[in-house]
Amino acid sequence: MKITAILPLSVTAALMLTTAAAAQTPAREGTMAARTTNGVANWTTYNADLKGSRYSPLDQVNAGNFSNLEIAWRFKTDILGSRPEYKLESTPLAVDGVIYTTGGTRRAVVALNGATGELLWQFALHEGKRSAESPRALSGRGLSYWTDGTKRRILYVTIGYRLVSLDADTGRPDPEFGENGVIDLKKDFDQDLGDLDTGEVGVHSAPAVSGNTIIIGAAFREGFTPRTHNNTKGYVRAFDVRTGKRMWTFHTVPKPGEFGYDTWLNKAADVNGNTGVWTQVSVDEELGLAYLAVESATSDFFGGKRPGNNLFANSLVAVDLKTGERKWHYQLIHHEIWDLDNSSAPLLMDVTVDGKPRKVVGLPSKQGFFYVFDRATGMPVWPIKETKVPKGNVPGEWYSPTQPIPSKPPVYARNGVEEKDLIDFTPDLKKKALELTSKYVLGPVYTPPIISTPEKFGVINNWAQGGTNWPGGSFDPETGIAYVYACGACISSTGLLPPPAGLSDIPLVVGVAGQPVVMIKGPGEGAGADSPAAAPAPGAGSGPPRLAVDGLPLVKPPYGTISAIDVNSGTIKWQVAHGETPDFVRNHPTIKAMGGIPRTGQATYQIGTLVTKSLVIAGENQFTTTPDHPRGAMLRAYDKQSGKEVGAVFMPSTQSGSPMTYMVGGKQYIIVPTSGGNASGEFIAYALPGKK
Amino acid sequence: MKFALPLLFAAVGLAGAAGTSVWAQDAGKSVWQGIYTGEQAERGSAVYAQRCGACHGAALNGTGEAPALIGGEFVSHWDTMTVGDLYDRVRTTMPQNDPQSLTREEYADVLAFLLKNNGFPTGTQPLDKRSEVLATITITAEKPTGTGG
Repeated sequence: MKITAILPLSVTAALMLTTAAAAQTPAREGTMAARTTNGVANWTTYNADLKGSRYSPLDQVNAGNFSNLEIAWRFKTDILGSRPEYKLESTPLAVDGVIYTTGGTRRAVVALNGATGELLWQFALHEGKRSAESPRALSGRGLSYWTDGTKRRILYVTIGYRLVSLDADTGRPDPEFGENGVIDLKKDFDQDLGDLDTGEVGVHSAPAVSGNTIIIGAAFREGFTPRTHNNTKGYVRAFDVRTGKRMWTFHTVPKPGEFGYDTWLNKAADVNGNTGVWTQVSVDEELGLAYLAVESATSDFFGGKRPGNNLFANSLVAVDLKTGERKWHYQLIHHEIWDLDNSSAPLLMDVTVDGKPRKVVGLPSKQGFFYVFDRATGMPVWPIKETKVPKGNVPGEWYSPTQPIPSKPPVYARNGVEEKDLIDFTPDLKKKALELTSKYVLGPVYTPPIISTPEKFGVINNWAQGGTNWPGGSFDPETGIAYVYACGACISSTGLLPPPAGLSDIPLVVGVAGQPVVMIKGPGEGAGADSPAAAPAPGAGSGPPRLAVDGLPLVKPPYGTISAIDVNSGTIKWQVAHGETPDFVRNHPTIKAMGGIPRTGQATYQIGTLVTKSLVIAGENQFTTTPDHPRGAMLRAYDKQSGKEVGAVFMPSTQSGSPMTYMVGGKQYIIVPTSGGNASGEFIAYALPGKK
Repeated sequence: MKFALPLLFAAVGLAGAAGTSVWAQDAGKSVWQGIYTGEQAERGSAVYAQRCGACHGAALNGTGEAPALIGGEFVSHWDTMTVGDLYDRVRTTMPQNDPQSLTREEYADVLAFLLKNNGFPTGTQPLDKRSEVLATITITAEKPTGTGG
């Protein structure tokens, strides 16, 4: 393991030279809340705060001037790894005028001057085989900041699953933390991973840091075609922020004798894995509770090796921040077989329901439900009904007869694909859509997967990348309204086939009748700076038909939306199609002959929203070329109250993570992580014209 | 709506509304003019099956995180860029776990295979292997009217 560090100058000294805005650090342990002092406003955690709001009270950039925004600086991440990255997902932090972020195929950490984008320091671990083998390569979603008023630390998890504590001023590892600033997260894990290089675990998310506690989740290989059901378990751990000593471990898959063990029939808890927390952890520092949004168990679409409801898979779990002890849990999907991992950071909101102030936790989801619980007790704020769902006929599968369906708020994103969802711009298109889908199964939410056959290839669904994915939601703490992006057209077909010998010990994995069953890769897997040579792939045959009709998307618009969900009343206040209509739709002869269609939004799972005093801000994830602008994407601003678009500014590349905002020198900046197409990873900072 | 792009707006004024996209370059070659051969696409098909298909799918439909390389989304994504842009993106980043491991000829063959599958016509000359030459060929999603080929 080799360390790369560029230490041109300490951060404080560098800032003294380039800006007069270096503010004082408050004497409070933990992360700092957003505030504006001496022309400085911070963004100190991945989601702006530990409540998951992605909210900043700044309002210098507002409806009246949003369209005047211009690029203040750009920071390209190409040099932070052995090759450029095209999937930059990190949201940077801003602390007293300094930007901290991960970036590049090496997942390096950089400190930048917030006013100019100039590099202040860089740090990276070269982990060799260990990072090459990681199930979660590339730059990750970001990092965390901690201070006790004197010490200032940057904490992040490397591609090879090591937790690193750096001095925020110099970028040097903290010698008092772990072993020379590093903790090997593959050790002290209540399970034996075997070889530390190849042991399967990694994570993209930023650590959650509250008080003296760091909470770390876990992520694994893609679950479409896992090698084994008995892979690593995604236990959640907490570490002391000063020493790196492990404080507690929460067993997301219970051990014998622990609560929930018997929800895995035939002792299946002993021989199944995953069930990690790969999204951000939220923390209520007053209640002393951490909220864990737990993903599915192995494997994504076949659960025959894990009969039972499988706690704490697909559950929202509140644990004591100090001890890791479970306070309450709620399982959102029993015995999950749809790849509907809990994807979003829990949103800790204070609202008024039926005239009473309530402390609630809201959870957006891939399945288009927005779940709301009392965050102290775990009781649903509005009834969540156990609802009978169809039983499938996949041999060896175990089916839950019911699933919990919230009565409020209403579904905010497409969560099933039925005839009513199919394209119907013209009768001819509808007819063709019906012909195409006759080779597939259609159905509502929780329609179970099928065995793929030449007659029925699979179930058409909006599961794996639909609804709200890892960027999660956002909310306005002043009004109790959540703003959530969702994909309505991230559809695919899912069928199951037996794997060829040697691929997996699971009897059924994802496959398509007539096609060889091959290993499907996860986010960034095999794409990091140390990745090895490719193994030859099997030959190609003729595939099933594309899920498109005359080149148009099979399902109706909107393809992507932002919804404003009023969590005081459990209603959807407004919903807009987010994103310009894709070129191939807008320019399609049929659409042109119709005289055009209203904006459709765009199908993507990479959009996060930013909320400010008056605006909801999000960019587009697809390139378009329109009469109004050359090839590029727009960063759009919506009025928070009405959803009306009040401004847009051109981006030379596409948003691929979630934007954030901060102020330095009295000037408000908005940073958008961008990448895609021929444009490699780049942070683009926008501000209003003028010196100040 | 206003955009902070005075220079680009000026460029439009010069280019005029040629074709259906006012932003497309109207000089030089286009993917609609038969810029690769059928044999080249055949060779590319074999390379694709060996080195690309495992992630992007045998039918180019994409799997998991790997996007589809066929259809409107894909072509829209590269609209108004050049074949050189696409070539260098593929050459420098693919296969994702071992970039630059194919020869330049093989990358050109794979590109020919992609162009064929996306409905762009074949021609008599194979696709060049030099990025700077490919950078003179524009990708336009829509077939221009009146340009032949």
